Amino acid sequence: MPFRMEKERTVATPYLLIDEEKNYMKLEGRCFDESMGLFFKEILDWLDIYLETDFGEFTFDNATEYFNSSTTKLLLKMLLKMDKYASDTKKIIVNWITIEENEIMVECGEDFMEELENIEFNIVIVD
Amino acid sequence: MALNLKQYSEMLKENSVQVVYSGPIWSNGIASMADMLIKRLEYDDMPFRASQAVFSVFVEQINNMMMYTAEKEVRAEGNSDPKEMPMGIFVLGIKENNYFIQTGNLVSNANAEILKSRIDHLNSLDKESLRKYHKTKVREEDNNKDSKGAGLGLIVLARQTRSPMKYEFVRHDDEHQYFSLYLDIR
Repeated sequence: MPFRMEKERTVATPYLLIDEEKNYMKLEGRCFDESMGLFFKEILDWLDIYLETDFGEFTFDNATEYFNSSTTKLLLKMLLKMDKYASDTKKIIVNWITIEENEIMVECGEDFMEELENIEFNIVIVD
Repeated sequence: MALNLKQYSEMLKENSVQVVYSGPIWSNGIASMADMLIKRLEYDDMPFRASQAVFSVFVEQINNMMMYTAEKEVRAEGNSDPKEMPMGIFVLGIKENNYFIQTGNLVSNANAEILKSRIDHLNSLDKESLRKYHKTKVREEDNNKDSKGAGLGLIVLARQTRSPMKYEFVRHDDEHQYFSLYLDIR
C-alpha cells in the first residue's frame, strides 16, 4: 500500500499531506511550534525510504506563509536531502507558493534556491 | 490597596501600548498568544508586510527570551513532568503608524555579554549583509546541535527592524542584569 499521511493545520503547525500514490507532498500554514523538530523528523524518515524508490517524478508544494528560524533550518535540511536524490530519472519539483507581499517567504525561497542544484525549484507568486 | 487600573490604562495609552503580557512564557502559551496577536493584527487592518514582520519579531523574541532568561518558575504543564518556565514581559505598541515591540527579562551576566556583542554586531550590518549572514547561519547551525538556534533568532529581529535594535542592561544583583530590548518594526 502506498504511504499516505495527512495532518490538520493548527495555529502553530502546518497542514501536511503526503500522498505516495500521487508522488506528492504539501505543506500549508504557519510553522513555529516547539514540536516542529518532531514534525519534520517524521517527514525525513519517510523521505529516507521514499527517495530510494523509483518514483519517477515527485512534487512538493510548499505553501507555508510563515516559519520561525528553527523551522528554516529544518526546511533547508529537508530540501538538501531531496536535492541529493534528484536526478534525470528521479525528477523532484518544488513549488514555493507565496503571495508577493510576503517578502520574508519570497526572499527565503530565493536564498534556498541558491543552495539547490538538482531540484526544479519554482517560486510561484499567487494573488 | 488594589492596582489603580485607571492610572495604569492611561499610562499604557500615553506610551502607545496596545498589548501587554507579563508572566511565564511556555510553548503552548505562545500558540495562544500568537493566535491573539494574529487576530489583533487583522483587526488593526495593517498591510500584510507589516503584520508579517510584527508576527515574526514576536515569535523570535519570545523564543530568545525563553532561551536567555535567568528567571524561571518551575511548574507542571498538563500531565507532563515539571518544566522550567521562563518569566518576562512583552509589550506591543503603535507609534506614528509603526509597530514597536519591547521586551524585558532577567539574564545572567554571561548571557548579557553574549547578547550585547551579538546585537552590536547585527546593528552594524546593512540589509543585504544581514540577508547574507542569515543565509550562512541557516546552513551553519545545522551542524551545531548545541546552539538551539540561538543567534539565528536575533538575525531575524535585525532583518525586520527599521532602526538599530535598542537595548539596556540594568544591574539586578551580582550575577544578573535586567535586559530590555526595543524594536522598531519595519
